[in-house]
Amino acid sequence: MEAADLIQVLTPQQTRRLRVIENLLRGKKTVSTLYWGQRYQLLPLIGLDKSLDRGGLDAAARSLVTGGLATLDEENDQLRLTPTGVIAAQRTYYQPQTADTWIQLDLMAARQRLLLAVQVVSEYTHATRRYYPLATDLATRQAVRAWFQREKSDRLGQQILQALTHALEQLPETVATVTTSLLTGYQHPGLTREQVAQRQQRTAWEVTLMQLDGLMQICQDARVDQTPFTSLLSSLWQSPVTRSAQLTLEAVRQTGDLDQVATQRRIKLSTVREHLLEAAIFLPLVDFPYEQILTPKLCQLFAKNLTGAIDDWQYTSLPADLQARYDFFYFRLYAIWIEKGGVLSDGVNNES
Amino acid sequence: MTALTTSLKQVFGFDHFRTGQEETLRDLDSGQDVLAVLPTGAGKTLIYQLYGYRHSGCVLIVSPLLSLMNDQVDRMHMAGFRRVAAINSLTGRDERQAILRHLGDYQFLFMSPEMLSQPTMLSQLRQLTLSLLVIDEAHCIVQWGPDFRPEYLLLGAIREKLGMPRTLMLTATAGKTTRQEIAHQLRCHPQVVATSVDRPNIFLDVEDVGDGTEKQARLAELVAKLPGPGIVYFSSKQLASDMALWLQSQTGKVVAAYHAGLDNEARFKIQQQYMAGQLDLICATSAFGMGVDKNDVRYVIHYHLPADMESYAQEIGRAGRDGEPSLAVLLYASGDEQLPLMLGQANRPTAVTVHDYYAHPEAFDVADPGVHLLEFYRNHGISEAAVVRLFTRRERERNRALAQMLSYVREPHCLRQNWLQAFDEQGSHHEHCCAPKQVALDLAALNLPETAVATAAEPEIAWRDQLRQLF
Repeated sequence: MEAADLIQVLTPQQTRRLRVIENLLRGKKTVSTLYWGQRYQLLPLIGLDKSLDRGGLDAAARSLVTGGLATLDEENDQLRLTPTGVIAAQRTYYQPQTADTWIQLDLMAARQRLLLAVQVVSEYTHATRRYYPLATDLATRQAVRAWFQREKSDRLGQQILQALTHALEQLPETVATVTTSLLTGYQHPGLTREQVAQRQQRTAWEVTLMQLDGLMQICQDARVDQTPFTSLLSSLWQSPVTRSAQLTLEAVRQTGDLDQVATQRRIKLSTVREHLLEAAIFLPLVDFPYEQILTPKLCQLFAKNLTGAIDDWQYTSLPADLQARYDFFYFRLYAIWIEKGGVLSDGVNNES
Repeated sequence: MTALTTSLKQVFGFDHFRTGQEETLRDLDSGQDVLAVLPTGAGKTLIYQLYGYRHSGCVLIVSPLLSLMNDQVDRMHMAGFRRVAAINSLTGRDERQAILRHLGDYQFLFMSPEMLSQPTMLSQLRQLTLSLLVIDEAHCIVQWGPDFRPEYLLLGAIREKLGMPRTLMLTATAGKTTRQEIAHQLRCHPQVVATSVDRPNIFLDVEDVGDGTEKQARLAELVAKLPGPGIVYFSSKQLASDMALWLQSQTGKVVAAYHAGLDNEARFKIQQQYMAGQLDLICATSAFGMGVDKNDVRYVIHYHLPADMESYAQEIGRAGRDGEPSLAVLLYASGDEQLPLMLGQANRPTAVTVHDYYAHPEAFDVADPGVHLLEFYRNHGISEAAVVRLFTRRERERNRALAQMLSYVREPHCLRQNWLQAFDEQGSHHEHCCAPKQVALDLAALNLPETAVATAAEPEIAWRDQLRQLF
C-alpha cells in the first residue's frame, strides 16, 4: 500500500488507527484488531499482505501528513483525513465489487492454487514437458497436483478457458484484462503487478484489488456451479470464525455459563471471552446468543452510561462500580451488539 | 564403474564434457576434494548431478541464495531428477517436516548455511550417507563470511561433524588468496581445477564521467544505442527501481528492475520474461544473475563501483555466454569508491561497540545486523580480542580488494591485463580488447550482434485472446 491507497481507507469523520490497518493486512487476528477492523468496515483486508513489515505503512502515512492530506496524533497512530485529503481521495480509484465475500474463503490460498492450476493446465494443453512452475508452498503444490491428476483430460484446457471467460465476463473489462495479464502459462510468463499498474496507470495495490475481484468471481462461479475449479477450491471455503471459537460458541449456547465452558474446554476464561468476541464480530446479529450473555439489566445500565458515538465510548469512563461488576468483555460485546443493530427490549436503539 | 562419458550420454544425452567438468569428476572419483573455479555457464551443476547419479547416497549442496535454491530444485526437476528438495528459512514448517520425515529418500538436498548450522538439523544429516558435500558459490565464504553471514565460517566445523565427506567447492571466480581462504575455512587441501577467467569475446570499457548527472545521461545514451538484451547493475534497490522506470521512458526500451526487495512472484516473472526475450534490459542489484540461464546477454553496465574484482568478474561474466561479441562497461565518477566503502562498513561494528557489547550483551538489540554478528561470535565462544582482530583483518582485506578495483578503473593501458592479473593470470593486449578511461568507446567497431527483442510499442492483446493463447 502506498499513500494513494492508504488515503482510500481513511475518512474525515472517524480517526483510524494505522496499527489496526497494518495488523489487518498482516493477518494478525487479535480481538482488538478485528473489533476496530469491523468498526472501520475494513475486515475484507484481513491477511491480504502477510509480507508487510511492522511499520510498513508508516512511510505512506507520513507522506499523507506531510502533504496535508491527513492528520496523525502525537503517538503516530490515529489518522484522519483533512478537507484537502477528502478531495484527494475522490480521484478515480478501483472499488472492489466482491470484497464482502472475501472472508468466506481462504482467498490467498485460493489465489495460489488458481494461478498454479492455470499454469499447469496451460503447459499441459501445449504438451510442454519442461517448464518452471510458479514458486508456491507445499500445500498448494500438493493440492494442485492431486486436482490435476483427477481432472486431467483432453478437454480440461477448453473447460478452464470457458470457466475463466465466463467469470471474467461478469466483471468490468479492466478487471478482466488485469486478471488475465497476471496469469502465467505457456509462453506467457505473465506481468508483475507493478508492470500492470504502470500500463493501467493505477497503483500496484489497485491492481491487487482488481485481481482479487477477478479470482473471487472465478471462485464464486465454482461454488454455485460445477466448474473444473470446484474441487480445487472446495476445501478453502470457511467461516471467518476460527474452529476453536466456533466450539466455544457452541458450548456457550448449550450452557450459557462462561466459567463452566472454560473448565469444560480446558481454556482460560479470558480465552472464552476472546472467542466470543471474535464470533460476535464476524457473525450476523441473529447467529450470536447475545441474550444469553448480555442481560436486559446490563443493557439498560450500559445504555444509560454510554451515549454518543460508539467509537468515543470508553470503558474507563464508566462508573467504578459498573467497571467492578462487569469486565471489559461485556462492554465490548455490548458495543458490537449495538453496532449490529441490537435493540433494547423497550425498542430503543441508542446509537447516535 | 561406467565410463564418465557413457554416464554423460545416458543422463544428459551429450557426447562431450565442457572444459573442467570431466577433470573435476575424475578427481572426485579418485577420492580427492576439489575446488573447481569454472566460469559462469561452464556447467558446474552438471558435475554434482552426474556425481550423484553415479554414486549411491545423498549429495548435500550448500547454497547461498534462498531464492536461487528453489530455482535449482526446479531446474533439477526439469532435468529429470525427482528426489530433490531444498530446506531454508523460506521453507514452510509443514514442508520442512515433510522433507525431514523422508530425508533418507533424497538424492539431492539443498540447504542454506544457516539451516545446516542448526544442531538438530546436523544430527539428522549425520544419519545419512553423504556421497558428496557441495559448497556452491564458494567465494561467498570469503566475500560474506566474516561480516554478513558468519554461518559460512562454521562450514569447516560442520564438515568435520559430518565425517569429512568428499567435498566439491564451486565458484566462478577466485583468485589465489580467495582459493587459499576457501580451503583454509573448509579445513581441506583440495585439488584445484581452474580455467582462465578471461572471456575474450567481452570487450572491456571503463568510462570516466564528471558527476552523477553526466553518468545518468551517459547510461541512457548507451542503453539507447546498444542492442539488447543487457543488464545494468546498481548498488541500491531503490535506484535500480527508479532507473528502470526512467530508462524505459527515456529510451522506449522494455526495462524491468530486479532485486531482493521484490516478492517471489515478481522475481519469477521478471526472470522468465528476460529469459523469454520479452525484456531489453534488467536494472538489477547483485541479487540478479546467479542461476539465470541466458546466453545472449550483449552487455553489462555497472553504474556503481563493485566492491571487488571477483564480484565484477562474476557479474560481467553473464554477458556473451554464446561466445558472440559482448560489452562490459564500468561508469566511474570521482568519489564512487565511497559507496562500497560505506556499504562495507555498514555491518561491521567498531572496536568500541565490540567492547561495549561484550561487557553488556543484554543491552543490545539483536535485530541490528551488526549486533546479530556479535551475538553469533559470542555464542560461538570467540573472544572480544579475536573479534576485533577479525574485523580489522576484514577491513584491511576489503580495502585491498577495493584498491584493486580502483586500479582497474585507473588502468591506462590494458584493462584485460589488469583484470587477469587480479586472478594471477597473464594476458596480452590486442586491438579489440578494451577501452580504458582515456580511450573513447567505438561502438560500431564492436560488431555486437542484433537480437530481436520485444518493444514497448507492442499492442496489448485483448484479454479473451490472451486466455485463448494460454489454452
